[in-house]
Amino acid sequence: MNAFETVAPAGHAGRRRGWLVPALILLLVFAALPALLAGFDRGYFYQIANLALIFVLLSASMHLVTGVAGLLHLGHAAFYGVGAYTAALLTSKLGLGFTVTLPLSGLVAALVAFLVALPTMRLVSIYFAVATLAIGQMLYLVMLNWVDFTKGPNGIIVTRGFELFGFSLSGRIATYYTVAAVVTLSVVAISRLSHSYYGNALRSIREDDQCADAMGVRTVRLKMEAFTLSAFFAGVAGSLWAHMTGYISPGDFKFSESILILAMVVVGGLGSLPGAIIGALLLILLPEGLRGLGDFRNIMVGLVMFLSILLLPKGLLGEVSALRLVRRQLGAAWRHTGDGERKGEGIGWR
Amino acid sequence: MFDPYYLQQLAIGLSLGMTYALMAIGFTLIFGVLNVVNFAHGEIYTLGAFAGLVLISATAPPIVAVILGALAIGALAGFSLERLAFKPFRRFTDEASLKSRAMRESTLLSSLAVSIVVREALEIVFGSQMRSIPFEYLINTPVRVGPVILVTGDFIIFGVAAAMLIGLQYLLTRTRVGLAIRAVSNNPLGAKYVGIDTDRTIITTFVVGSMMGAAAGILMGLYYGAVFPAMGFTPGIKAFVAMVMGGLSSIPGAVICALILGISESMATTFVSSGWSDMVAYGFLILTLIFFPNGLFGARRERV
Repeated sequence: MNAFETVAPAGHAGRRRGWLVPALILLLVFAALPALLAGFDRGYFYQIANLALIFVLLSASMHLVTGVAGLLHLGHAAFYGVGAYTAALLTSKLGLGFTVTLPLSGLVAALVAFLVALPTMRLVSIYFAVATLAIGQMLYLVMLNWVDFTKGPNGIIVTRGFELFGFSLSGRIATYYTVAAVVTLSVVAISRLSHSYYGNALRSIREDDQCADAMGVRTVRLKMEAFTLSAFFAGVAGSLWAHMTGYISPGDFKFSESILILAMVVVGGLGSLPGAIIGALLLILLPEGLRGLGDFRNIMVGLVMFLSILLLPKGLLGEVSALRLVRRQLGAAWRHTGDGERKGEGIGWR
Repeated sequence: MFDPYYLQQLAIGLSLGMTYALMAIGFTLIFGVLNVVNFAHGEIYTLGAFAGLVLISATAPPIVAVILGALAIGALAGFSLERLAFKPFRRFTDEASLKSRAMRESTLLSSLAVSIVVREALEIVFGSQMRSIPFEYLINTPVRVGPVILVTGDFIIFGVAAAMLIGLQYLLTRTRVGLAIRAVSNNPLGAKYVGIDTDRTIITTFVVGSMMGAAAGILMGLYYGAVFPAMGFTPGIKAFVAMVMGGLSSIPGAVICALILGISESMATTFVSSGWSDMVAYGFLILTLIFFPNGLFGARRERV
């Protein structure tokens, strides 16, 4: 929800203004919104706010792998599910509390991602997308069919809400603050990751992985790390979801959820973290705002996605479009200053 | 000796595989021509099935007319899908954007978006519950062949699928339209230079591929007797798996792999519960991608 100051290769974008936007957003998330929610004091609004925050985290984690590293990931919801199931099973079978399940959920999701990534990360473009789709569906089938362990379609009731070292945080406001704190910290972490040299290495994979490989960027390893990290944050989101709703079932983690998360990243603009966050808020809050339309809500998700791809191919705040613009300018400059005979051919810039 | 039960499962598997093959051909044709994956293909299957259902409940025509009606709807759906989700992204025709990954992925996402809209629209119109096909249209009258009990549906599916495959083969190798399709899928730019109307060829490809998808949908609807808006998703994935296993651009490869998938899936239900049988397809997909990245029958490709 913050750290907008580090947007892309900002560098000279002004240190002076840098702290203002994040401070405002922190103020909004931790003071204005809770005050508003407490003012209305309806459980439903809290639910929506928490849901939106969780999807902000999911969208941000997808941003890391799809937006920054440019890998089309079609099975993200499955890792979200792995996190949620880890939290639920640890709570219901071993009686562990939120403070233990939160990191463990992330770690288990990351471990699963790492294991499935080992054989599949060498794939590129559409093959990668298909592999992630298959992995996501396999994990979903396990959640659905391994009835002894996951209780199958019946789902699991999570008995314990949020708590911190034995201190219960299961009131409405406390739940909201817990979710907001975890999501904010995670988003800051993702922001630091994606706006660093590390993030730039991932971007180089997105732009041209063969070229990056030739330059000495270890593409396979980086892809695997991005995939695992994003699964870690998805697992954290899953743990939040499990403790927040108190009940999870495989239906929450099916393919359409992966698509919803993907739509958030695409609508917001591939490669832009603020974009991913705005996309998540848009696609969660818009259907809620359109409740009057009843059944048409889900169509709206599809339509928003379609129109945004059609009219804003780079999304609301895409950084790719900015790169393209620079590239076109540079490409033109390069051509005009080229030696006379080869004018108009362009070298290197495609 | 052989248990007749296995032969029966084999027959079911073949019928299943044939419908996967029909869908996989649609995927393969479109991938060949445009080099993109059409994620809305599963919805074409659903639309075909619903077209049949509407036709049956409205006028109760003979079964041949039902299938023809589904084919017509499939053709229409393919045409509009191409216009809506694929045409707008071919604005740029220079070579760089033809090769650009971003362009390809945007059509992938736009077809995905169209598929969401179509599925949700069907849910609003018909409800998300299963709708059953009237009893007299079900193609499951038992037929005894030696020790095995088959149903008429097995024969009908096999017959229709075989007829469509032969028709496709004729279209692709003996007609000018087929020649154009093959030319565009071989080299879009070259085809354009020699004066082929690539735009029209792409539409034709979508229409042909979608007709096959819709035929698969109505046949499966009549076979199982149930039609519902989300029915296209699983066969769509399976057909996609078959296409990848077959090597993306090989039609015979896709058909053979679809049959393998169908048979292994129906055999798998003998050993594990039906819930797990979907695992077979995904397992095949992952194994193919890891060990035969070019597909089992595909030509060599530069990168996978």
